Amino acid sequence: MKAVLEVKNLKMYYDTQAGQVKAADNISFSLYEGESMGLVGESGCGKTSVSMSIMRLLPENARIISGNIFFGGKDIVKISNEDMNKVRWAGISMIFQAAMNSLNPVYRVGDQIIEAITTHEPNVTFEEARQRVASLYKLVGLDPERMDNYPHEYSGGMKQRAVIAMSLACNPKLIIADEPTTALDVIVQDTILRELEKIQKKLNMSMIYISHDIAVIAEVASKIAIMYAGKIVEMSDSITIFKRPAHPYTVGLMSSFPSIRGPKKELVTIPGEPPNLLNAPDHCRFAPRCPFATDECWKKEPSYEEIENNHFVACFHPQNLKKQVRNNVG
Amino acid sequence: MMLKYIGNRILQIAILLVIYVAIVFFLLHAMPGGIKTLLISNPKLTPQAQEAIIRAFGLDQPLWLQFVDYMKNVFTLNLGISFSYYPTPVWNIIAERLPRTVLLFTVATLIAFFVGFASGKSLAWNRGKTTEYVSTIVGIITYTIFTPLLIFVMIWFFGSFLGIFPLNQFLNPDLWIHTHLNAQVIFLYILLTMLIIGIVMLVSYLMALRFSHRIRTRRLIFYLSTIIAVVFSLFFWWISPVGIYAADILWHMVLPVMTVTIISYAGNMLVMRDSMLETIKEDFITTARAKGLPDKVVRDKHAARTAMLPVVTNFVLSLGFVVSGGVITESLFSWPGMGMTLLDSTLAKDYPLAAGALIFTGIFVLFAHLAIDIIYAFLDPRIRY
Repeated sequence: MKAVLEVKNLKMYYDTQAGQVKAADNISFSLYEGESMGLVGESGCGKTSVSMSIMRLLPENARIISGNIFFGGKDIVKISNEDMNKVRWAGISMIFQAAMNSLNPVYRVGDQIIEAITTHEPNVTFEEARQRVASLYKLVGLDPERMDNYPHEYSGGMKQRAVIAMSLACNPKLIIADEPTTALDVIVQDTILRELEKIQKKLNMSMIYISHDIAVIAEVASKIAIMYAGKIVEMSDSITIFKRPAHPYTVGLMSSFPSIRGPKKELVTIPGEPPNLLNAPDHCRFAPRCPFATDECWKKEPSYEEIENNHFVACFHPQNLKKQVRNNVG
Repeated sequence: MMLKYIGNRILQIAILLVIYVAIVFFLLHAMPGGIKTLLISNPKLTPQAQEAIIRAFGLDQPLWLQFVDYMKNVFTLNLGISFSYYPTPVWNIIAERLPRTVLLFTVATLIAFFVGFASGKSLAWNRGKTTEYVSTIVGIITYTIFTPLLIFVMIWFFGSFLGIFPLNQFLNPDLWIHTHLNAQVIFLYILLTMLIIGIVMLVSYLMALRFSHRIRTRRLIFYLSTIIAVVFSLFFWWISPVGIYAADILWHMVLPVMTVTIISYAGNMLVMRDSMLETIKEDFITTARAKGLPDKVVRDKHAARTAMLPVVTNFVLSLGFVVSGGVITESLFSWPGMGMTLLDSTLAKDYPLAAGALIFTGIFVLFAHLAIDIIYAFLDPRIRY
């Protein structure tokens, strides 16, 4: 299998008046054709920073310090903005966090999708582009007649579908869905995620889902990376993550969401809050909130290692957990 | 829907006008002094003559009777005869002067709008550079400057120091003395030319929208037909024998237009800058960038287009200043338009002329508001009437 996207030791820092904020620190992962990956973590842990680094849509004070992002064999960290414009949408497209606001209110929704098509494929005529939009609308479950409406004439769920249709407009190899359903109610959320998964399988695209909700992600992603304080702390396929979570943070995330079918249990929350990335500590970043922290955890940072086949964890005590998890979750 | 809205608005405007016309009457008569004191202070008039004038104009009647007569006259479109330009009807004076004011201020306001829009746009886009600070400070200075002071500085600098523009007036009498041409006719031809160019621009824009979906082709159609229209009209004026007189009038217009533009561009620029800074933080701008659109398209098509809505509102508000600014600007430039007429007739207690001037400025402002409301509906699809 060929890797569509390969992120290697990506470091992205924000320069602020108070100092450097290490929003993404040593991020590495690769994504294969047709594979979908979930990027999970609390707010402010750097998920969106990673996705914006991949799209090169960073604010002015953000810098990619080091690392590479290979897409289609090219290192897109180094190419010019004009070349990057060709990669955007045609190669990697995005479904944004707030689909409600990601459509321009003064243009017709269909025209905004056509704009993406004609920008990247100048030979496509307006009529052909319209036909493509119509078929995209059918694909995402929208009435093609609605493409001449303005965004304010759509409901929230319809806007979300339109945004998904837009992300598919140029047949990208990779779609980054940044909290694609957060603004929707639970029922619509589920429908849209399932449809997204179906489309992804059908078109054999790669996909990165970004969410704070590990339960939602596990349903649609084949692989999950858990991020904490700008780092990936655990990564494996979703089944392994669910059956044998090794990092205490992953365990915490999973027990803080209710299970519908399982027995009723009090939800466990993770005490404390994520560290301030401005003064990132040099010990394990989760140690202050970790119930299993030992002296070792307070002295140095754990390395990111493969503890079993295709299961990477950055923790000194991954073995400790198995029993603990069985008591808690299983 | 739209037609119904316009009908409603015209009805509203009619009601507003009645109220406005009534207020105008009482305002004028509430002025201290009155025509009698003015006549008495004129030593050339005998008491008998004064009496005759007062009776002739019906000024000896009780105020309410005068009011009834006034309202009846206004709504039968009879504005009466000017006292100070006796026996010229007010209609004729206004018909001569209204176009001058409308032209001067429409040109200046439109230039100010586009300059303010374009500079505000690029200021926000190039945030944090020195040009942004300099332009913002210059903008605030010209926005808050005392208007007469600015006018004097402009007249001194361009009219006297550089000597490239005439100091004031509407035309150069030395040039016109040898001809039988009527300045008003020439002026109306200028107005007609501008109207034709404007219509050509509008039609070509609509045609471009209809026949092409590519921005480049659209732009080509629009600019090409505009340039052709301008070149044709210039050529027409060039071969016509009266071209030089038209040029004289336009030459006298440059300085006032420049001054009014300087006074009003800054408001548009500052509002546009603020609104643009807000808009570029919006999610749909990130989407536009993510779509791989070139920077210029993101700036012009997505950010500026959405950010211009508050600027249009500001434009409406600034129309009100056309009236007040007109009085000062026109008097200082001796531009014989509505502002100057209003000032002169008020000082001369020329009630019919003052009322006529006020009524027509009122009508102009009200209809300008209506026009902007209609344009707004086209600019912002979220607004439906």
